[in-house]
Amino acid sequence: MPRKSKKVAAERELFEVEARPQLDALYSMALRLTRSPVDAEDLVQDTLVRAYRFYDRFEAGTNFKAWLLRIQMNTFVNRYRRASRERQVFDGPMAVPVGEGVMSRASMRGLTDPVGDAQRRLIAREINRAFEELSDDARAMVLLADVEELSYKEIADIVGCPIGTVMSRLHRARKQLQGSLQNHAVQLGIIEEGDDEVEDPIPLEAFRSRKALKS
Amino acid sequence: MSCKLVRRHLGALVDGELDPATQIEFERHLEGCPGCQEHFAFEASLRQQTRDSMGGVHAPEHLWGRAIRRLDEIDEAKAEHTSLIHVRPMRWRQTWPIAAAAAAVLIIGGVVGLPESTEYQGAGMLQDVMNLHSQALPSDVQAEAPQEVVRYFQGKTPFPVKPAQFEEPSMKFVGARYIRVGARPAAALYYNHLGRRVTLLVFQSPEIMRNAQRTHVGGRELFYHDVGGNVVTIRQHGGVNYAFYGDIDRPVLFQLAANARVAY
Repeated sequence: MPRKSKKVAAERELFEVEARPQLDALYSMALRLTRSPVDAEDLVQDTLVRAYRFYDRFEAGTNFKAWLLRIQMNTFVNRYRRASRERQVFDGPMAVPVGEGVMSRASMRGLTDPVGDAQRRLIAREINRAFEELSDDARAMVLLADVEELSYKEIADIVGCPIGTVMSRLHRARKQLQGSLQNHAVQLGIIEEGDDEVEDPIPLEAFRSRKALKS
Repeated sequence: MSCKLVRRHLGALVDGELDPATQIEFERHLEGCPGCQEHFAFEASLRQQTRDSMGGVHAPEHLWGRAIRRLDEIDEAKAEHTSLIHVRPMRWRQTWPIAAAAAAVLIIGGVVGLPESTEYQGAGMLQDVMNLHSQALPSDVQAEAPQEVVRYFQGKTPFPVKPAQFEEPSMKFVGARYIRVGARPAAALYYNHLGRRVTLLVFQSPEIMRNAQRTHVGGRELFYHDVGGNVVTIRQHGGVNYAFYGDIDRPVLFQLAANARVAY
């Protein structure tokens, strides 16, 4: 076995100390992206190998988890070659239009305060099922924001788009998730069906500029 | 401020991503609007439920160990690469015969009237090929699955690329990357043989067969070039060249190259 230089050994140790606590997050994300435990393990391993190779490019002081997730996302996109197609579906003319008030008030109430552990478990299962129906891109958005609790800025870096795009994609992804969840929940009798309120979207910028005009 | 506007951006409010001024306005609106309060409670509750029901996934026990072993391999390759660079005198010995060969080729070219550029490219190409190994460039695809390697090279090289199969279990596939030899697209496949790096370069270069020496190993015809003490072994199948070389002894390399399944 060739000897390890001291520099390599020190860098390696630091990498392991930083990367080990992120293994669950990487695997969780990989599993959700690939939907296969075997592929997820390969993806995590490839991610760690890649991260280790480019470890000198990591900017100290920034979020290491976000950096690893960005590498994993890139690896996933390159390896599985799905993303370009998914993104087209997500952003292109085929994108499903999502109204603002996908969920009725009655549904909302039923899902806001689940009664008892049984119902909570049932809803948890339905959330997972609804999540599986999302596109790769939408799933990534929900995972990064809702599960990994990253900031919009960090998500923007990972996905490679402006912060405003993160905001709108995330909004759309959550509405899709809610819509799908509602359908499942109604079928299962967890919540009652109600009339959907349909609203037109109003961009925040329009509000801000209107406000600026008034003042 | 309208309810529509507030509801459209409730997600950002729950995420704490609104600018402070807007956040204050939103909160002021929420205080006086039971409908939006309900939406807010729902948004926040669903966020929590999503986190609870999807989080808590643990990586399998063996995964970290598996990744660590791959990192060990990288460190080994790095260490070898470093030691390779330290041996400066080797470099000198390497360059002399190449320069001499290039000169000889030029002279022959001049006498016989062969196009000089092609011949010169041949010698330059061998050096390029050698450099590709000593540079130890990082792999672009590291997967164990041959299918992924095949997929990676699709559309990149004008010929299909498959990782060669070796009879020797000691030959471990490490990774691969797309590369150019001169102007030609090529596939560099990296292997590890008992801690030593072996490169298999797959490309289309009929010139590399020119002036190559010929030998037989285990009944198989094998071509090779001596490049300043290093040997580059070449096999040809269907117009594609497979160059094997690395930090291993000549008999072992010949054996590996002769027994490899390259076109299957």
